[in-house]
Amino acid sequence: VIAALAVLPVVLITVLIGVRGVATMRTTSDFLVASRRISPVLNSAAVSGEYLSAASFLGVAGMVVKDGIGALWYPVGFTAGYLAMLALVAAPMRRSGALTVPDFAEARLASSALRRLAAITVLVIGVLYMVPQFRTAGLVLSAVSGTPYWVGVVIAGAAVSVTLALGGMRAATYVQAFQFLLKLVLLVIPALWLVFTVGPMVRSEAVHPVEFTHFAKNTAVTFEVDVTLQLAEPTPILGTDGVVHVYPPGDLEMGSGQHVVFPAGAPVPRANGGRLPGAPGWERPLLDIGGGGYPLLDTLAVLIATVLGTMGLPHVIMRFHTSPDGRAARRTAAITICLLSVFYLVPGVYGVLGRVLVPQLYLTGATDTAVVALPSQVDTGWAGTIFTALLTAGAFAAFLATSLGLLLVVSGATAHDLMSGGLRTLRTAVVVTAVVVVLLALPAAPLDADVLVTWAFTVAAATFCPLLVLGIWWSRLTAPGAIAGVLTGLVTVSGSILVSLFGPPLGGWLGVLVARPAPWAVPLAFAVMLLVSRTGRPPSWSRDAMLRLHLGDARPVTNPMPARPSAATYSSP
Amino acid sequence: VNRSKRIAVTSPQTRLAHGHRRASGHWRAPRLDAGDTSRALSLYHGQRRPAVLTLAALAILLCGLPVVFALCPGLDQARLLGIPVSWLMLGVLPFPAMVLLAGWQLRRAEALEDER
Repeated sequence: VIAALAVLPVVLITVLIGVRGVATMRTTSDFLVASRRISPVLNSAAVSGEYLSAASFLGVAGMVVKDGIGALWYPVGFTAGYLAMLALVAAPMRRSGALTVPDFAEARLASSALRRLAAITVLVIGVLYMVPQFRTAGLVLSAVSGTPYWVGVVIAGAAVSVTLALGGMRAATYVQAFQFLLKLVLLVIPALWLVFTVGPMVRSEAVHPVEFTHFAKNTAVTFEVDVTLQLAEPTPILGTDGVVHVYPPGDLEMGSGQHVVFPAGAPVPRANGGRLPGAPGWERPLLDIGGGGYPLLDTLAVLIATVLGTMGLPHVIMRFHTSPDGRAARRTAAITICLLSVFYLVPGVYGVLGRVLVPQLYLTGATDTAVVALPSQVDTGWAGTIFTALLTAGAFAAFLATSLGLLLVVSGATAHDLMSGGLRTLRTAVVVTAVVVVLLALPAAPLDADVLVTWAFTVAAATFCPLLVLGIWWSRLTAPGAIAGVLTGLVTVSGSILVSLFGPPLGGWLGVLVARPAPWAVPLAFAVMLLVSRTGRPPSWSRDAMLRLHLGDARPVTNPMPARPSAATYSSP
Repeated sequence: VNRSKRIAVTSPQTRLAHGHRRASGHWRAPRLDAGDTSRALSLYHGQRRPAVLTLAALAILLCGLPVVFALCPGLDQARLLGIPVSWLMLGVLPFPAMVLLAGWQLRRAEALEDER
């Protein structure tokens, strides 16, 4: 309950910032200028603050608990994406003057049809990216305070949409930069405390993984979603009636909300056909989700999606606009790589400790809550409570930072690219989008975070990545080619993942390629864009439109402000 | 106290989301003069090289490591400070490598812009 209180200040502060703006920032006379001339260091902290979502703060550690060390490929891909961005996109994109990919599409190819298609793609990516954020918020709240899953999702949706609909995000750069520091501190300090407090036994177990076959102590488990347990041997389970039943081998259905206790020494059942944490292969540094047997293909598919998808994430592209010129945008990308590299050293620590201390989370599919569940396992006193509270606050900060940026971009795309409405439309769009995401997140609890994250990244990789890369580096790209390529990417990726979720189960390499379509869908989108462009003729200005993006920032941009207002204007009592 | 100027303070994100119909109808075909064109062309060709080299190095790093892991399962048993070497190669090694690569790419790109 105390841990749940930690969420309150984070949510309250965010709502207050949204409603009031940051009052202290207004006293600095040159805030507006500063927001255009923002230094790359500050801006990259803001980029990282917005980028590090609940999936990074909690999801990576949860995936390590469930799927093994190979899940650490995700943070590597998340970081490498900025290297691709730095090399190919950052500076030319900033010089185009476009704030979003729909803007870029129109500036480069002068096609309003492409602009609308790009806006729809922003919508798809944004919603897919927000669903796991809301899902994690629900899971975390129910883990620390015992509320049902839907309560957390609804609270999260309400906090985010009220903040945006009332005030928009003012002074966002400073808030986001602060958010990065907050998340880093809230993740690193509890990690150090955990590593020093758990004792040599646990530390040794953490680096010598063994299969989680028997419960080491009496373990209480609350199921948030319906789960089918496969019992391999007779298993004693203490039900809510206080009586121990021994269940025969076979399938056992657990309904959501059911609370049971596995006594010490009971064998661990499998859940939904997955592997047990620490099973052979867990310690392999390759991704082999569900033990499909194609770890190399699986790993490369995730890498392609995350590396190429990062450059198409709408909320990240928007943030680069705060840089004054192409050069600063490039520096921002480079420094972001450094900041992310520091942050991503930590989630793995939670992952390996989580496998030792809270492997039972795997039964309920709630491994994403491993990070916040750890402190109470190590210390049942006030220290554990405080660190749980700190981590919960950090997780909510991560969730809010990413969701606010995404929701604003998505509603901006709806209101301004698709419907061309004003402020009222935008506010309606914010609320409608939030409601849609909440409705989608409610049944998403049983889905794995990695499925949703991969989906969003793969759509971005197969649509915006070819559009941006070819738009910046190939003068013969035409609007019909771009439209065909983006459509191909959007339809094939979404279709493929829907088949893997709701279609017949596919095994082997085909199953991997259907669930993770990046290795074929991204080249396909590139090929379609190239071939269709080849059949048409680019307009006469096409080459100039491309070259303009590569022209350096030699001419200084004149200050748009005629004069700086004095600080006294705002700070006089 | 001078009270003549009051300025709306919003983030670029809010400004974008609020500004509607900003771009439509005002599109003009971009034209570069001859001097700019030749400068842009040489920058375009110049920047392509380090960008491709950086991406190639990244591809070798990211595709090479999984292959190494697949071929040398012994790395899971070898230990450094008690931690399996393969875990360190995945969880720690790529990050400094990417930071160095980013630094190199940034310096190359800026040097190219400075000399032209």
